[in-house]
Amino acid sequence: MSEIVEQTQLPPSGPEVNVNQEEKTVSPWVDVWRRFRKNKAALFGAVLVSFFILLAILADLIAPYGFKETALENKHLPPSSDHWFGTDEFGRDIFSRVVYGARISLWVGFISVAGSVIVGSSLGIIAGYYGRWVDTIISRLFDILLAFPSILLAIAVVAMLGPSLQNALIAIAIINVPTFGRLVRSKVLTVKEEEYITAAKAIGMKDSRILLHHVLPNSLAPIIVQGTLAIATAIIEAAALGFLGMGAQPPTPEWGKMLADSKDFIMQAPWTVFFPGIAIMLTVLGFNLMGDGLRDALDPRMRN
Amino acid sequence: MKKRLLGMLSFLLVLSMALIGCSSNSSDGGGSKGGGESADGGGTLIYGRGGDSVSLDPAVVTDGESLIIAEQVYETLVNFDKETTDIVPGLAKKWDISEDGLTYTFELEEGIKFHDGTDFNAEAVVKNVERWLTSNDEAKFAYFASQFGGFKGSETAIIKEVKADGDNKVIFTLNKPQAPFLKNLAMSPFAISSPAAIEKYGDKYGENPVGTGPFKFESWKRNDTITLVKNEDYRKDGEPKVDKMIFKVIEDNSSRLNALIKGEVDLIDGLNPSDAEKVKSDKNLQLFERPSLNVGYLGFNVEKEPFNNPKVRQAISHAVNKEALIKNFYEGTAEPAKNPMPPTLNGYNDEVKDYEFDLEKAKKLLAEAGYKDGFKVDLWAMPVPRPYMPNGQKVAEALQADFEKIGVKANIVTMEWATYLEKVQAGESSLFMLGWTGDNGDADNFLYTLLDKDAIGSNNYSRYANEEVHKLLLDAQAETDEAKRAELYKKAQEIIHEDAPWVPLAHSTPLLAGKSTIEGFFPHPTGSQPMGDVSIK
Repeated sequence: MSEIVEQTQLPPSGPEVNVNQEEKTVSPWVDVWRRFRKNKAALFGAVLVSFFILLAILADLIAPYGFKETALENKHLPPSSDHWFGTDEFGRDIFSRVVYGARISLWVGFISVAGSVIVGSSLGIIAGYYGRWVDTIISRLFDILLAFPSILLAIAVVAMLGPSLQNALIAIAIINVPTFGRLVRSKVLTVKEEEYITAAKAIGMKDSRILLHHVLPNSLAPIIVQGTLAIATAIIEAAALGFLGMGAQPPTPEWGKMLADSKDFIMQAPWTVFFPGIAIMLTVLGFNLMGDGLRDALDPRMRN
Repeated sequence: MKKRLLGMLSFLLVLSMALIGCSSNSSDGGGSKGGGESADGGGTLIYGRGGDSVSLDPAVVTDGESLIIAEQVYETLVNFDKETTDIVPGLAKKWDISEDGLTYTFELEEGIKFHDGTDFNAEAVVKNVERWLTSNDEAKFAYFASQFGGFKGSETAIIKEVKADGDNKVIFTLNKPQAPFLKNLAMSPFAISSPAAIEKYGDKYGENPVGTGPFKFESWKRNDTITLVKNEDYRKDGEPKVDKMIFKVIEDNSSRLNALIKGEVDLIDGLNPSDAEKVKSDKNLQLFERPSLNVGYLGFNVEKEPFNNPKVRQAISHAVNKEALIKNFYEGTAEPAKNPMPPTLNGYNDEVKDYEFDLEKAKKLLAEAGYKDGFKVDLWAMPVPRPYMPNGQKVAEALQADFEKIGVKANIVTMEWATYLEKVQAGESSLFMLGWTGDNGDADNFLYTLLDKDAIGSNNYSRYANEEVHKLLLDAQAETDEAKRAELYKKAQEIIHEDAPWVPLAHSTPLLAGKSTIEGFFPHPTGSQPMGDVSIK
């Protein structure tokens, strides 16, 4: 989709254009929102995502127990009014752990994707705008990173840095860099041929200003879409690393880790696996639906 | 877009079906594949286990997976009783110990032949013992050196010489008395091989074992199966009861149990405690409990701050809730430990009063030691399930939560198993979890091996050195009167309890499972047993 030559999505009226600028007619962002709102599935995704974000922010208020509050005598209690989601083998309240887990998963999702967006887009812009040998070096670097299966690369990075949530986050950020890099690079390749860029160059604008004020804003749409979808993958990858014991360390209530800790009891105490699993599924579903909706909404060909 | 949603929903559906499928698999287990065919003995016994053997020459190994094969192919001069570590006759039908405890005369069974047809006699025994005694090969015969004080001519060596007297008598002369001498000889690493076969196969003897045991070696597919066949000339009438034994490697505990349920194997070891109920409720299966001869513990490195202060060690001891740990992570298949050796051993001190679980007391002791606000520490936890601790990671996590209540912030550290052992042995950790399974049922094999100052750098991972304990343990080694020895060990346990170099956690009962048609099987406390008397209905 990035190869499509954009039909002047934003008015190419000159260097002063700001993407957030309110216009007398209809701002492109308002237009996007209109289209997004019509998409029921996307709205549902947005609601799910907001729900988990609220859960994460208000975890201290919502969770009835602390996430590391053990009570060994309460091992594997089934769901009840005291423990809505039951307890794990340490007697910890699973509902509280799932609520606090939202904080961990969303944190990992947002921060790692933010990291890969920043690094990936910068590299992509540089590669796409300057071309030639800079492009060759950066693109080959991306190719090398993409040659590894992503989870394997993440495991390798964590193995080097040592298992911890922070290192898992770094690993996930690294494996997503080439995705954003390539996306932005190809977008830049088309944007830089636009007349307004030529105009900006003609009046002697510095490269850095052109990149930040013209090229980047005009490449934003695919980044937003890819970013939303990447958060979903990042959450799954963090859970996978946690499941393999290479992510969050005990007693952190990371969903993937909770699954790994409970997998032996899937018969005796299915609730220990069920609820963290559902939480992962719903969050990822939310981000995916939202990402899909954004893709449709941001696609200029779908414009009325 | 719609497609994507549809995809997700169908994924959900598949997932839930898979989950439902999982829950209904044990109903028609115990099929008729494999196992015995006739009503009266015979048939093939397939034993599922977690790992492959290292070598089939018992003298050069210490791992349980090698020794369990040795138990079938070989015999020792004296044996452990079927259910205990009491000494009973083996290849020697009787023996005589001199007054001073320095001369052992063994009278051998007559008319026994090795599997290769050569005769078993006094000369064969002497050749075996001399192979170990005069080898001076510390790397190859390490277990011999550690159990018998060293090789011939060394200052600490227990055995001075070994001689044949006629065809059926062997005389061992010792440099100094060793109380557990017979128990050491009963250990399967010191089984008697055919001298002709050792000579014939040379370096390849480890793949071509020849002994006098109930089963003959047939073939070995590495990391898969070892096949043994019945020794028709076995000295005990009516044994072995099955025609063939196959040892099959199935690494994962749950898949091994599944193989048993499906009838692919007849007997398995390494059952997860959480699966015990499943085995008990299946009428086609039976559960075996290996009598406990082990201890799992939390060790302090007594050379490192803050654990060089006994008060800190005692404080931590008060912060461990053993009952709850056992209930949650051993599924009750263990008993709380208060001493570094299991209660079934002679010399166990039941008078010792354990540090009770009392967080207030723990806090008070910490304050007295100058750690009013607690401290931070790395808690090392083993990465793999062990017989003495089925899940070290989870026990560590539970300890972490209790320690936090007394202000001790523990960070759980783990690494690959071999590295873990190496680093703990080198004294790099200050707080670690570990355990030990006894090899000969003697207190010496726990207290001296694990907590004497001589063992620092080998198995004394706490680096605990107490002169008084050292003297008691050496005296106990040389004392041949069992009652007096017991007194010495009891005294040593009192001192060790006071010094608290460990928090002994549990003596676990390792679990095995087999088809309900298995008869005559008893899991020996040392971890492996001959199975000539096992039959399939």
